[in-house]
Amino acid sequence: MNESFQLDVWKGDWGLPSVDLKCLNILVYAKFSGVPLKINPTNNPFRTPNGALPVLRCGSETLDSVKDITAFFRKKNYTADFSLTPKQCAEVVAYDTMLKEKIYPALQYVWWVDVKNYNEFIQPWYAKALPFPLNFFYPGKFERQARNMMESLYPTEGEISAIENAVYSEAQKCLTLLSTRLGEREYFFGPHPTSLDAIIYSYLAPLLKAPLPNPALQNHLKACTNLVKFVTRISQKYFPDICQEYERKKAEESVRKMRRDSENEFPHKKRNQFLAGVFATVAMVGYALSTGIVEVTRNDDRMLEGPPDYMLEDHTRDE
Amino acid sequence: MPDVLLSDTIAMELGAQEPWPQPIKLYQPYEVEQILLPDNANCLAVQAYLKMCGLEFQIEPRSNAEYMSPSGRVPFIQCGAFLVSEFDPIVSFISSKGSSLSGELGATDKADMRAYISLVNNVLVNAEQYVCWVDQATLISVTKPRHGSVYPWPLNHLLNWQKQNQITKKLNVLGWYNKSLDEVFGEVKNCCTALAERLEGKTYFFGDEPTELDALVYGHIHALTTTPFLPSVCGMSATIGRFQQLIEHCRLVNTLYFKKESDISVGQVYLHDTMSQDSFCNSTGSLESLFPLTEDSFAMLKANEKNDSLEETCHLDLKEFVIG
Repeated sequence: MNESFQLDVWKGDWGLPSVDLKCLNILVYAKFSGVPLKINPTNNPFRTPNGALPVLRCGSETLDSVKDITAFFRKKNYTADFSLTPKQCAEVVAYDTMLKEKIYPALQYVWWVDVKNYNEFIQPWYAKALPFPLNFFYPGKFERQARNMMESLYPTEGEISAIENAVYSEAQKCLTLLSTRLGEREYFFGPHPTSLDAIIYSYLAPLLKAPLPNPALQNHLKACTNLVKFVTRISQKYFPDICQEYERKKAEESVRKMRRDSENEFPHKKRNQFLAGVFATVAMVGYALSTGIVEVTRNDDRMLEGPPDYMLEDHTRDE
Repeated sequence: MPDVLLSDTIAMELGAQEPWPQPIKLYQPYEVEQILLPDNANCLAVQAYLKMCGLEFQIEPRSNAEYMSPSGRVPFIQCGAFLVSEFDPIVSFISSKGSSLSGELGATDKADMRAYISLVNNVLVNAEQYVCWVDQATLISVTKPRHGSVYPWPLNHLLNWQKQNQITKKLNVLGWYNKSLDEVFGEVKNCCTALAERLEGKTYFFGDEPTELDALVYGHIHALTTTPFLPSVCGMSATIGRFQQLIEHCRLVNTLYFKKESDISVGQVYLHDTMSQDSFCNSTGSLESLFPLTEDSFAMLKANEKNDSLEETCHLDLKEFVIG
């Protein structure tokens, strides 16, 4: 078989292979099941069948939903779930719907509805990532979609803050449940990663890694240490390059920032030190001289005595 | 950080301080001529849960129950000074009072149970909403007459239209609106497969004692298999009918907690609700709008002739509902 799978995705950032939930899900699932993928970070939802990434192209087939793509992988004999019992497969389905019901609205809220996050972070990020004319259109579209979702999920709530509370409280309860369900295990069904782990990772990782200006829900996730460890473990094991590169970049960035900060605080440090030194010396010497602690004896007399002799001698010689 | 959990805790503390007011009142729309499939399923689920907890309750049918409810959804219970609506908040409210069915479960089982409850709440409820409000045949011949039946002339169309908009918008956001009927049946089938796998031949989903999941699944399976309006719903109940275990589970809960002979059987279409409608209409003779509907469904279902015994059960049901 010389097929090649091509996957168009949103590009990655913050140490993740992709910032989008669905793209991330497929990428992680493909890693778990060993699918050789060729990844194109297009960032362009315009040239897709239904206006959504990820899109998988394989020969004449073009698929664009997570469900279809995983089913397609399974048909090609790539799966991460071969060791699961039917009961565990049922659990995967159940948890998938729970995450979609509880955490997805919260993610949408954090990303697109929360004003601070949207204005300071999300909107600029997407405007930069999207190609030129589209960047004026898509962020606004996604924002409208998210707002629409909030309105239709809570039709009786008029206040946006009430909706925020309800959405966050659902998501927090769900995170706590996941945390207790995971316990101290490595993955949700024992030592091997499955599609459930891919799903849960794809929901949690963006929330954990994105440097959000308003980290309300993020803080709750950070408090669930086993979930944080779970996300980090998958990142480091399956995307070591991206992860390390980001860590390195972040370290460099922080070093540069620290240097820049200290420079900013004292812009002409060397010159000032030198001037201060000179000033101090001059002042001390001046004080010492003026009060007479140090006396400079003049040897001018002897010097003055000398030349008259010469002069005299010269005079006498002339004479 | 918004004080989400704090407000939850405060509500719970307040709830726990109140003594048990007896009896609990359960408000819901009229079961015979008004209620729709999704609401009916939820009401049944709450009734089953209260019965499983061994709590006394009174059913109070109200035509405007939807507008009385604090969240705009039915059913809701009145418990002393508190109004609690919908299945999940009612379950947590009752557990704050000390009677919970899932207290014995381990942490993992509890998380699994929440996941399955989500599954039912999403897949089955959305499928029911889809059939009621998106499927044109059901919308025109069943949903609109029933939902509008309690309002006077111009208002019924207006409210139907408003409700339809609300539901379509929600289904659109959740990605259900653009599905075909077959895709919806496919989703229902997947959900039922998952539930049947979890049941695995046991009596209840988690061990030998019922939990809230059992009540919820009972409510939906019972409502779906006993409400045959039109081919679209029949298709759904036929899909569910293939899962013998779920039908058995439903029948068991029915006989144990509702003390009535179950009329669920696979492969045959169930006439329970249509019958009760018929008998109700005959006895009051006030709901002309429903007559074409019942005739339709009768034709569709090739009604069998032994109505008498069923009618009796229905009357008994009605009585039981009034008494609680």
